[in-house]
Amino acid sequence: MQGGSSGIGYGLKYQARCISDVKADTDHTSFLTGTLSLKEENEVHLLRLSSGGSELVCEGLFSHPNEIWDLASCPFDQRIFSTVFSTGESFGAAIWQIPEPYGQSNSSTLDCVASLDAHVGKINCVLWCPSGKSDKLISMDEQNLVLWSLDSSKKSAEVVSKESAGMRHSLSGGAWNPHDVNSVAATSESSIQFWDLRTMKNVNSIERAHVRNVDYNTKREHILVTADDESGIHIWDLRKAKAPVQELPGHTHWTWAVRCNPEYEELILSVGTDSAVNLWFASASSEKQASERSAEASRQRVNPLLNSYTDYEDSVYGLAWSSREPWFFASLSYDGRVLN
Amino acid sequence: MATEAAPMDEKAKRMRDLLSSFYTPDPSISTPTSSISTSFDNINGPSFDADQYMDLMIKKSNLDVLLQRHVQMAAEIKNLDTDLQMLVYENYNKFISATDTIKRMKSNIFGMEGNMDQLLHKIMSVQSRSDGVNTSLFEKREHIEKLHRTRNLLRKVQFIYDLPARLQKCIKSEAYGDAVRFYTGAMPILKVYGDTSFKDCRRASEEAIETIIKNLQTKLFSDSESIQARAEAAVLLKQLDVPVDSLKDKLLEKLEQSLDGLQINPDEASKLAEHNVSSKDEESNNQGPAKIHEDAVRGFSEAMRAYREIFPDSEERLFKLARALTTTHFENMELYIRKRVSAADFLGIFREYSAFPPADVLLLSNSLRIIWEDVVLMDEVLPEAALSDLSAEAAQVTLKQFVARTFSHLQQDISDTLLKFDINQKEVVDGEVLKVVLEASGKAEFRQLLDENTGIFVKMNDLLIGWIQKGFQDFFSEKIHAGLILVLAQLSVVIEQKVIPRIAEEITASFSGGNSQAFIPGELCRVFHAASEKLLQHYIDTRTQKISNVLRKRFKTPNWVKHKEPREVHMYVDMLLQQLEEVGKEVKQILPQGTFRKHKRSDSNGSNTTTSSRSTTLHSDKMARSNSQRARSQLFETHLAKLFKQKVEIFTKVEFTQESVVTTTVKLCLKSLQEYVRLQTFNRSGFQQIQLDIQFLKAPLKETVEDEAAIDFLLDEVIVAASERCLDATPLEPPILDKLIQAKLAKSKEHNNNNKTTVSS
Repeated sequence: MQGGSSGIGYGLKYQARCISDVKADTDHTSFLTGTLSLKEENEVHLLRLSSGGSELVCEGLFSHPNEIWDLASCPFDQRIFSTVFSTGESFGAAIWQIPEPYGQSNSSTLDCVASLDAHVGKINCVLWCPSGKSDKLISMDEQNLVLWSLDSSKKSAEVVSKESAGMRHSLSGGAWNPHDVNSVAATSESSIQFWDLRTMKNVNSIERAHVRNVDYNTKREHILVTADDESGIHIWDLRKAKAPVQELPGHTHWTWAVRCNPEYEELILSVGTDSAVNLWFASASSEKQASERSAEASRQRVNPLLNSYTDYEDSVYGLAWSSREPWFFASLSYDGRVLN
Repeated sequence: MATEAAPMDEKAKRMRDLLSSFYTPDPSISTPTSSISTSFDNINGPSFDADQYMDLMIKKSNLDVLLQRHVQMAAEIKNLDTDLQMLVYENYNKFISATDTIKRMKSNIFGMEGNMDQLLHKIMSVQSRSDGVNTSLFEKREHIEKLHRTRNLLRKVQFIYDLPARLQKCIKSEAYGDAVRFYTGAMPILKVYGDTSFKDCRRASEEAIETIIKNLQTKLFSDSESIQARAEAAVLLKQLDVPVDSLKDKLLEKLEQSLDGLQINPDEASKLAEHNVSSKDEESNNQGPAKIHEDAVRGFSEAMRAYREIFPDSEERLFKLARALTTTHFENMELYIRKRVSAADFLGIFREYSAFPPADVLLLSNSLRIIWEDVVLMDEVLPEAALSDLSAEAAQVTLKQFVARTFSHLQQDISDTLLKFDINQKEVVDGEVLKVVLEASGKAEFRQLLDENTGIFVKMNDLLIGWIQKGFQDFFSEKIHAGLILVLAQLSVVIEQKVIPRIAEEITASFSGGNSQAFIPGELCRVFHAASEKLLQHYIDTRTQKISNVLRKRFKTPNWVKHKEPREVHMYVDMLLQQLEEVGKEVKQILPQGTFRKHKRSDSNGSNTTTSSRSTTLHSDKMARSNSQRARSQLFETHLAKLFKQKVEIFTKVEFTQESVVTTTVKLCLKSLQEYVRLQTFNRSGFQQIQLDIQFLKAPLKETVEDEAAIDFLLDEVIVAASERCLDATPLEPPILDKLIQAKLAKSKEHNNNNKTTVSS
């Protein structure tokens, strides 16, 4: 999606919420999506951008037993990914492996590597350790944070540690700090909490109500971006957690998800329930340019919104930058349309 | 000469050289030309060698050429000879005429000397005669001169003797100017001879002059005299060597005294005005003190003018006085403002307060206007005193204070009302107060301030607005109440739409020149517009946030999968409606009505209505049939319906109308509702509950909202979302739905016999 407003589309059969970039696939720009349908057979789609960059091809279609609420691709093995699924009444999380010669057969079954079954409540998300080779996983439900160690060869996952955040904070999502593998940010009802994985203790928090989504800036340490229901997008400096460094107006309704570009630190992408995908330019907040900031800030105020893609007809929930080619991103709307 | 052929060449050449040296006066011209053209074949050159030339010719050319050359040369020689002859004849002629002239001159000179002698003799005799006449007339002339001198002296003596009488006469006729002139004329004589022969005379005249001086002084001091007369008197006194400075000092002292009297006036005026305000008929009485004050100031400025004319060298002192006057004016103003505001502080009841700001502002602006007029008057008199600058400065300070005070006061006031609101929960009262405050503080204050289109306001308008904006910001950070935000939004709209054009108008009216760069109405308009939009957005945000919290609680708490059979419409619907009603009330009181009227949509058959009716029919169709149908086909159907429905614009730009704000709020709420529904999984009863709630919501929402199609769309979306997230989406039968809604309505009627409109679903 290089500047143009009309991207490459791909339609899923059913409703869907989540899309993930396949980081481990170094040869292609690939994305994984999972559908969300209560009554139908759910599917996981492996999408690949054709070499010309003009087409989004379905490379694999795998059936998944339950509706998928969250999906994350393993950073070191392109065939492994995790899902959070729900049977309607109960939630589960599992790690799956795409069967070897994939792409040939339609609706082939997935191999279940491990089931993350230490949870009781509603599971929100599964996070992979961003450092690459590490086989650590974190899964979150509303009250608990569980650190897993995955052994893919033995097809098992063990609980390393588990910590309850307490009844008061219902966790809703999170992000693993790419600069510090021991730190995880989790969003809860009234704040963003930072957990130290070594001690499994809550070390820090930013008081902020109703944060939907959080993402670390992979290029700059200490910078965190959050998306709120009502008040748009906030950029935080973790060392100065009292007030946001910058605010962006966000969307006309809830801002559902926000992602920083893996290569260009200024670019932020957000999706919202107003069926729009907005691309923001937020160049401020580098500490060494403190003097420049005022001048720059005034310029930003002119137009922090670089582009708004409004091709969707329903709320947009899923969003992922391509890590291989940082100028591509995929977004997913509720009615099952993927756009690049 | 031409007869000899052989030496002819040389001869001719010599002749020509001679001739040329004779005729060309400057040989330096001829020599260079000849030297330049030195060559052997140049016959005319001085260095021409005939033999060489001949040799060259013979060597170079054949016989024909030589012959030809010979003929040519012979012709040339002949020509030259005739030229020479002509010249000789002409010279001879000239010589003959010259000798003739000399001969004639010689004959004319004879007899001249005798005539000259005769002339000299005659002149000598004329001179001796005139001398004789002169000596014979000398004696008589001397006598006449003497007589004349005596006469002059006698006249002077006569004048001095007459002086006292004349002075008396002048005193009688008040012709002091003449008197002083006479007296100063006679002064030197009186001084020299005063002790001897003119003693009496001098004494008498001095007496007269003293009376004159006295008269002049009284004249100078009397205010009833015209300025010119007084100025004249001062000048005359000066001529009489009376010490004018002491007089001046006295006069200025007097002026100061009168100034003190003047300063008391404003105090009295303010007191009077205050009194009048509390007795609530300020207008007529306000004029009284103002008029008195104006007269006083006018008198003062007149006096100033007079003094300025009388004593042109005393300006500095006058400046000081004028400055003192203005500063005391402003001090008074400050005092007065403080008093006013604190007085208003004591009156806690906001209704009464609402009457105050206008009066307050009226007074302020009145007094400011008065002061400005005074200053203009004084400025005319003393243009150098830079009074206008001074007063502008002072007025700026005063206004700043005033605005600050009013703001703090307003803030306090509003917080008071909010406190009351919290205690009483009386929404209506609160709303009214909001409105009153808005009108009082906003319209009255700004308009009245700006109505005063004297130059002083124009100068500081932008400053004023700056302060006000700052005030807003301070305000904003401290208080977060939705209604208040709305008030502020509306206020800034008022400023943007009405005040700024007015200011601009006034500026163009008062400065037709290029003096208005400091004030850019477009820029200010933009600022205020942005501010108002932001505020409005913020208002909607806070409102929807509140509602969204209600919804969140509703959807997070129960286990939807194990929901029980719906018995009645859920509580949260009531809360939702209540919140919306609140918004509607606030909005109605503050914002203007839009152009869209509600009754319009009932008879309109535009595209909006058709879409909405289509969607409803589809919906009801679906409802009717879905009893027997399976969920899958239903889902398919909704998708199909969606395909055919045009995409409804949910998120439109908010305008400053009641309907727009309410609609936006409702839309955002419904969208949130939809999102919350999508996050849950329902069983059949849960779905039915949602369906029931939505069905109930439909009618009242439509009542309040302008964009029916969008609301329909969103409500449908909620149900669709619920059915999608439902394990067993079997809708309730319409009769049951109806019954439950009616029951709810009846209950709500029972609870509060409010004017909730009856619903027929």
